[in-house]
Amino acid sequence: MLSIEALKEYGANTEAGLVRCMGSEAFYLRMVGMILKDPAFDKLFAAVENGDVKEGFEAAHALKGSVGNLELTPILEPVCTLTEIFRAGNPADPALVEEVRTAFERLKSLVEE
Amino acid sequence: MLKNHERFFTAAGKRLILIVDDELVNREILSFMLQDKFDVITAADGKEALDIIRDKLSLLSLVLTDIMMPEMDGFELLDAMKADASLRRIPVIVLTSDRQAEVKSLSNGASDFIAKPYNQPEVILARIQKTIELAEDQGIIQSTERDPLTGLLNREFFFKYVEQFDLHHPGASMDAVEIDINHFRLINEIYGWAYGDKVLNRMGTTLVKKAQSSGGIVGRKDADKFLFYAPHDTDYEDFLKELTAQMGVGNENARMHIRLGIFSNADAEPHIELRFDRAKMAGDHIKNDYSRQISYYDQELFSKELFDSQLMDDFERGLKEKQFEVWYQPKFDVKGDKPRLSSAECLIRWRHPKFGMVSPGVFIPLFERSGLIQRLDRYVWEEAARQVAQWRDSYGFTLPVSVNVSRIDMYAPDFVEFFTELMKREKLSPETYFIEITESAYTQDSDQMAAMVTALRDQGFKVEMDDFGSGYSSLNMLANLPIDFIKMDMQFVRSMDVNKKSLRMIELILDIASYLQLPVIAEGVETEQQVKVLKELGCYIIQGYYFSKPLPAAEFEKFIKEAKENA
Repeated sequence: MLSIEALKEYGANTEAGLVRCMGSEAFYLRMVGMILKDPAFDKLFAAVENGDVKEGFEAAHALKGSVGNLELTPILEPVCTLTEIFRAGNPADPALVEEVRTAFERLKSLVEE
Repeated sequence: MLKNHERFFTAAGKRLILIVDDELVNREILSFMLQDKFDVITAADGKEALDIIRDKLSLLSLVLTDIMMPEMDGFELLDAMKADASLRRIPVIVLTSDRQAEVKSLSNGASDFIAKPYNQPEVILARIQKTIELAEDQGIIQSTERDPLTGLLNREFFFKYVEQFDLHHPGASMDAVEIDINHFRLINEIYGWAYGDKVLNRMGTTLVKKAQSSGGIVGRKDADKFLFYAPHDTDYEDFLKELTAQMGVGNENARMHIRLGIFSNADAEPHIELRFDRAKMAGDHIKNDYSRQISYYDQELFSKELFDSQLMDDFERGLKEKQFEVWYQPKFDVKGDKPRLSSAECLIRWRHPKFGMVSPGVFIPLFERSGLIQRLDRYVWEEAARQVAQWRDSYGFTLPVSVNVSRIDMYAPDFVEFFTELMKREKLSPETYFIEITESAYTQDSDQMAAMVTALRDQGFKVEMDDFGSGYSSLNMLANLPIDFIKMDMQFVRSMDVNKKSLRMIELILDIASYLQLPVIAEGVETEQQVKVLKELGCYIIQGYYFSKPLPAAEFEKFIKEAKENA
């Protein structure tokens, strides 16, 4: 079961995330579970693979908003940097993409635990 | 009848809000935040939103929309709502994580924006509440004299007090001053809404103190705009310093750029609102000039105001008396050995009885701002069709012509019908009537434009993309756009002799055009050498001074006669 404690340990700014969720832990955790199914992740990874900067920007930008709302810092930070890289028309930094993937997988295993 | 504030409630007794965002998590969080106070419905893109808005029109109090979405984005949604009179009353708040998008959304008609990640729920709720109230209050006469935030007179009562002041102080020499904080919305956004209110409040207090010591009346016009009816002063530098010094409000980094627009000795002008319009005009004059903070209404602005308003006043008469003339500039097909007249572009000229020939560069922007451009464009379309029909009747030769279309024309519900009716009336074939639409119109609102252009072409009209290369068409967009001709931006031709890059650009445009199988028109062609090079590169339709400048109809006839003889 995912818990606030586990998310805190994961590196999320749960305090800010909870404020946005009107203090409801259950709702916050439900949203964290929901974001794992966000198609924008797959879109981002596919875009990086295909070298599609426009798609990459759209996906990173979308994630920046939603991941930002949940304050999932380990994903948010590389996603923000990627957004700006794509916005400037540049190809993705593989290290950053890997960072997103790892943070995403880590979160997934937390939820599945 | 329902009172204003009682309208727009759903069965649950709450106001209805639509949230538009392609990210499910964002929709869920915002819905969760709002569900206690509002009824909430959601949509995942602009298209879906528009359907819902039309469906729930009578109940909907507010739309909250994301910008970047598939299908139809937030800007397009704003445009669509603005273009439809029945949807315009619904306020829109934009949800965005981009600074640039904030400013753009406000200028595109959004009432406010909410930054992502979302602020404190209380702040969001307060902004939503305020936007809804503002929208609902529009049109209701304010029953109070005072602005609740600053305690100053509101605009309406301010003017009444100025009137009273004049009655009690005959002969007093007074200045009309508008005080404005540059980009105040950004201050609100960067330092928070509460801080912004503090700044406005401080401005109010400072102005009241000033008025108490020097005399005069102060009021708040709206948002960050304040009015000061002040005893005449020749130097406002100290006043500006005083104001600026007060504006830090405990945050030294928040540097305020205050602007003063001043109409000196305003009491000589009997119309009170006009006094402050002029102060505003003076202030607006330096809006983008950060080196100046004080601007006076002077002879130059007066002349401009007078000239502009005279042109606006003369518009009707100009139309009626046919002072507006359609001139024709020929386009020649140079593919064969001998250039052949292929068509002509119709251009507007104003033979003003008092000012002589007024440049379209002067009156077109003015008419665009005031919306008169639509009537002028239609006048040109009609005149041109009538002239072509007359030439056909006298010479048995139908000259294909092209007319210009402004972006705003395409929002008229009878846009296409107007052309088809015109063709019927003058017994012309739409294949000989070309419509020029500038590239920038396509890029600003590509869906609407594509729909209109398709509708025109379905009726048989030919469409030219004007000024190609000056805007930002993507190749992808270009491949999918329904057009018949590309008209290269004049700048390429103008600099082709001196600039190798321009020549390369022309080659590139011709390559793209040949791939898309679209003929290219070059305009601004002035020399034989340019014609030769363009022809070698495969551009065969040439317009420009090399063949002829634009000519009044009577003078243009020589080309018709010539073409008729050669036919």
